[in-house]
Amino acid sequence: MAGSHGDERAWIRGAQQGTETDLESLFRHHWPRAYRAAYLVVHDSAAAEDIAQEAFLAAVRGLDRFDRRRPFGPWLHRIVVNRAIDWSRARTLRREVGEGALAVVAASDRPENPHSQSLASALAELSPEHRAVIVLRHLLEYTPGEIAELLGLPRGTVNSRLRRGLDELAQQVEQDVR
Amino acid sequence: MSWRDPAPGEREAGERSWKTVREAFDERIPASRRHDWRLFAIAAVAAAILAAALSPPGQAVFGSLRDAVRGEENAKPALFSLPAPGRLLVNSAQGAWVVQRDGSKRLLGGYREASWSPHGLYLVAIHGHELRAIEPDGDRRWSIGRPDLALPRWSSFGRQDERVAYLAGETLRVVDGDGSDDRLLAPRVARVAPAWRPGTHVVAFFDRTGEVQAVDVDRRRTLWRTRLFAAEPVLLEWSGDGTRLLAATRSELWTIDPEGRTVSNNGVGGRPVAASFAPRTHRFALLRWFTQQRRSGVEVVAADRLGKRTRIFAGAGTFGAVAWSPTGRWLILDWDSADQWLFIRSAAVRKLVAVSNIEENFGPDASPAGWCCP
Repeated sequence: MAGSHGDERAWIRGAQQGTETDLESLFRHHWPRAYRAAYLVVHDSAAAEDIAQEAFLAAVRGLDRFDRRRPFGPWLHRIVVNRAIDWSRARTLRREVGEGALAVVAASDRPENPHSQSLASALAELSPEHRAVIVLRHLLEYTPGEIAELLGLPRGTVNSRLRRGLDELAQQVEQDVR
Repeated sequence: MSWRDPAPGEREAGERSWKTVREAFDERIPASRRHDWRLFAIAAVAAAILAAALSPPGQAVFGSLRDAVRGEENAKPALFSLPAPGRLLVNSAQGAWVVQRDGSKRLLGGYREASWSPHGLYLVAIHGHELRAIEPDGDRRWSIGRPDLALPRWSSFGRQDERVAYLAGETLRVVDGDGSDDRLLAPRVARVAPAWRPGTHVVAFFDRTGEVQAVDVDRRRTLWRTRLFAAEPVLLEWSGDGTRLLAATRSELWTIDPEGRTVSNNGVGGRPVAASFAPRTHRFALLRWFTQQRRSGVEVVAADRLGKRTRIFAGAGTFGAVAWSPTGRWLILDWDSADQWLFIRSAAVRKLVAVSNIEENFGPDASPAGWCCP
């Protein structure tokens, strides 16, 4: 992915001044990882689109207040991942009260794609909280300390979730392979 | 699977979302620049107007806030002078006004849709069922009688051999600058002002099928035609050097070169209302109206890259027209709903001068039609 931090600052400055092409550069640079992160937490294309899109709309609304000396990615990812966790929790609750139709919809949302295969399927078996820290660590490549800051958690909690999540993930992948 | 693989639907979702994000971006009112407290004050009033317009009491509240705009201490109560050299032509329900740099003005009563000749020596305007060429002091040079006249425009040939194109009903007609040789050019055209390519006798127009055509009026030869697949044409405008033609429809912008080839094409959120090329550049000011938000915006757009747009002002209600000063350093914006004109210095909005009471001073529906010729 092209685009240095310098580019990003220039894009934010341009967008703050009303230049659409700079906003588009910012959007196209960050969209894939924002959408992918949301998808890997919620495992639902429509929900991932809504979550990532809403994060960008929040960015547009807050553009004038954004401090362009700070990187844009962590700010965006915080919104994406927290909303994805909230969405997943809400879906879990709905399932508990017997909305079986949601499971059918979720099952139908699995086209042929690497993400629909073993690792992604295994990830879907984890809790939203565990999915989130694994996505932040391995897709978005944040350090445990940065994840703790993004999610507002103690660093120890992040480490334990990472450890437990990766253990469960390994077991799931192993079962799938068998 | 790799973390780098795209997720299902990622690209399509991105395209859909970009449209939504772009629309939200188009509709935002940018924060005021540092030291630009006047712009902030006007934007705040704009927001108040919008809130009032959307409130249940409706028009009555809106009216009282318009009065508040008129009372804005930073807005001058009348147009005392122009901030840059040149003369301003204003069309209103009373007639055509010619405003001098020092603010003195003359009403040419009963005229409508007036526009400048290239050097500001004459005006062409409609009076009843007559097309007339007049001097700025009102002396008539020639006239032609026809029904349903509209949108007359002088060519900008530059060697005292000008033409005037105008609409008569559904037809496009051309007459020589001395009033002779009035002739039919195209039988069925859209209700959009024809645009003369500077330095030539070539005129561009939208026909009724949505095609843009360029015709050499002396040779009566169509040079090119291009279909824009657009339901509703809005405006045509050449850059001052004659190398770029802007064509706007209800939802898209095109930049076309003198051979009829598309240089750039871009969708726009909001309906284009008016556009004006800055002198000696390929940048133009574009007014857009956002129906749902009942708000308008003005931005400066690069003709060669139509996505490169810089918003310079936005406000509640409608903007009517925009024109550059002859030097290109100032922009006049007709903020119709606020009964104000704003003089904005350069795209960077370093200075903004607001003038109120436009209707009281120029009559209803007063709107700048050109800032000409120092």
